[in-house]
Amino acid sequence: MNTIIQNILVFTSLALAIWFLLQKFGLFPKRKVATNKACGQDDCGCH
Amino acid sequence: MPKQINVALIGNPNTGKTSVFNALTGLNQKVGNYPGITVEKKEGICKLPRGVKAHIIDLPGTYSLNASSLDENLVIELLLNKKDKDFPDVAVVVSDVENLKRNLLLYTQIKDLEIPTILVINMSDRMEYKGIQLDIPYLEKELKTKIALISTRKKIGINGLKDLISNYKDLSITPCLNASEIDNTYFDKLRHAFPNQLLYKLWLVITQDVNFGTIDRNQVDAIDSFKTKSNADLKRLQQKETIKRYQFINNTLKKGQSIDLSTAKDLRIKLDRILTHKVWGYLIFFVILLTIFQAIYDWAQVPMELIDGAFASLSEWTKNIMPQGAFTDLIAEGIIPGLGGIVIFIPQIAFLFLFIAVLEESGYMSRVVFLMDRIMRRFGLSGKSVVPLISGTACAIPAIMATRNIESWKERLITILVTPFTTCSARLPVYLIIIELVIPEGRIFGLGYQPLTLMLLYLIGFGTAVCSAWILNKILKIKSKTFFVVEMPNYKLPLFKNVALTVLEKTKSFVFGAGKIILAISIVLWFLASYGPGENFNNAEAIVTTEYASSNLSQQDLQQKIASHKLEHSFIGITGRAIEPVIKPLGYDWKIGIAIVSSFAAREVFVGTLATIYSVEDDDVDTITNRMAKDTNRTTGGKLFTLASGISLLLFYAFAMQCMSTLAIVKRETNSWKWPILQLVIMSVFAYIVALIAYQFLK
Repeated sequence: MNTIIQNILVFTSLALAIWFLLQKFGLFPKRKVATNKACGQDDCGCH
Repeated sequence: MPKQINVALIGNPNTGKTSVFNALTGLNQKVGNYPGITVEKKEGICKLPRGVKAHIIDLPGTYSLNASSLDENLVIELLLNKKDKDFPDVAVVVSDVENLKRNLLLYTQIKDLEIPTILVINMSDRMEYKGIQLDIPYLEKELKTKIALISTRKKIGINGLKDLISNYKDLSITPCLNASEIDNTYFDKLRHAFPNQLLYKLWLVITQDVNFGTIDRNQVDAIDSFKTKSNADLKRLQQKETIKRYQFINNTLKKGQSIDLSTAKDLRIKLDRILTHKVWGYLIFFVILLTIFQAIYDWAQVPMELIDGAFASLSEWTKNIMPQGAFTDLIAEGIIPGLGGIVIFIPQIAFLFLFIAVLEESGYMSRVVFLMDRIMRRFGLSGKSVVPLISGTACAIPAIMATRNIESWKERLITILVTPFTTCSARLPVYLIIIELVIPEGRIFGLGYQPLTLMLLYLIGFGTAVCSAWILNKILKIKSKTFFVVEMPNYKLPLFKNVALTVLEKTKSFVFGAGKIILAISIVLWFLASYGPGENFNNAEAIVTTEYASSNLSQQDLQQKIASHKLEHSFIGITGRAIEPVIKPLGYDWKIGIAIVSSFAAREVFVGTLATIYSVEDDDVDTITNRMAKDTNRTTGGKLFTLASGISLLLFYAFAMQCMSTLAIVKRETNSWKWPILQLVIMSVFAYIVALIAYQFLK
């Protein structure tokens, strides 16, 4: 029982770690928070 | 009255704006970024009389509302956009008593936006020293505001400022300058085209090309009844506006301020003569650098040993207290050593940030920029590139963002391309651990070999950046011309509170920024090191026991052999051995290879990776450094970390482009994949060749 729980925890941690790294380095794009359209709020690239 | 007042702290650089922010907010502050861009956003809460709270936002330093950089643009956009959640109920313009004339230009511009504005005159403790006298009631009348004469150093006037903020509704919003005076005919047309808008706001929209509310530059241009002027004409009008403002400021200060130079006692000129001298200046800077690196080693030794020991014990304690199993091993052998590998460097990193903060606070850093400008110009760069290169010692990402201030595209591109050579704080843990392993502890003329090596690596990084800039300047055929102006602030004793907050903030962002990545990578690496395919991994115990049946190995040695065999045939071992042929000529083994590959995410991951791999391999209660020091090279049979392999590794990290985030930011700043790919290939090949030569020469 203990072994099963420990293995579940290991694989959950692994999945979370991989998900975090993929998101961190842009493979899963983060959901964008809507902001107002003023320049500078959502870097328009005009600078 | 609202229960929370929005306050914007605005001012020229070097007016003590951050000190005012710290004095008002204390520890109730947080640092973040503006959405979508890497410009620091500092916010805090200040408790005012009668239970009112003020939300204070410390805006980036700006000389005027005529923006020339991203930082300055942010200030204008906030002040123009009433819909912004941070739009101030009251603007607090911070000025320096010694540079009042220049500082008032920004004040008069903000006042003309009809935002309630308080003028803070900081550094009042220096008035007597400088022979300055101010007629505050007269200045308040002429500038149509309330003035807080304060000294953050002596903690004078802060309560008075808080009172003024809480009574901001009593402040006049009458402008200092009638905008129409800039060009009567033009502004009349503008008034007719937009009868409900504030003229000065419209003027800023036209000249700055920024948006506010529902109006932007395109809409102004689209109105048939109003034809805007050419850019050259607008520039001329902007100059006229500045002249008019200075006429107003000069007239006000003629009566409101008196400076008696006969009573002024000034050490500044004498100090500048020495500190920016073409020989003494560099010599003094060199001695300061030596002192800093020596102190980093001497002072940090004890806390580092304590942290190292504590993590080794914590790992052992976790194993003893938790039930045996894979998850316990993950925590004890993966997560704790991985995090410990980076936490151990907090004392040294904090000391480095401490020294940098003291140099900045004292006003010396601007003199360093001036000194470096002399060198940079010989290599085809102006002093504008010095600021990104120096700030690159913290992190290349904000440093590359800081190049937005450089108008010349050629110079900006060169600075972007060479900045990753300067030694960032992420390289520091890698350097420190390798230096500890391969450089002896001896001293020469009272200076340790280890701090000298560390300083040499910083100088190599800066030297390579400058030399690469010279080469790129010759290769890139883009014509451009630029100029550089740097302000030399007064020398002052650093405020303990400011220094402490800076160190705390920077160390925190270093640890938490890298910490999350290291935690995730430690978990993945532990998994790859603890699981493997095939017979060799699954039957490791039987294979090793049979192999060493005839030798008289102790139980402990046999367990060690089994752990090593398993690691070698684990997923990570197989991957490591696949890349080993490429890195073998540099004196590295597969474990270092894996650490190099994983540290592409962030350089400091190198240390965490080695900590995790060595922890999985060796169950002893020992520090990671000791485990690494004992490791042997399978090819040579000698120690893995020797002077040759260590120097090779140090040089590899000095030159290699081991940072995914930097590449992403270069792509964004150059708007092309061409430059980051070239940067990655050239830096990696160069790093490999230098590391190869170093190892082959020293082995």
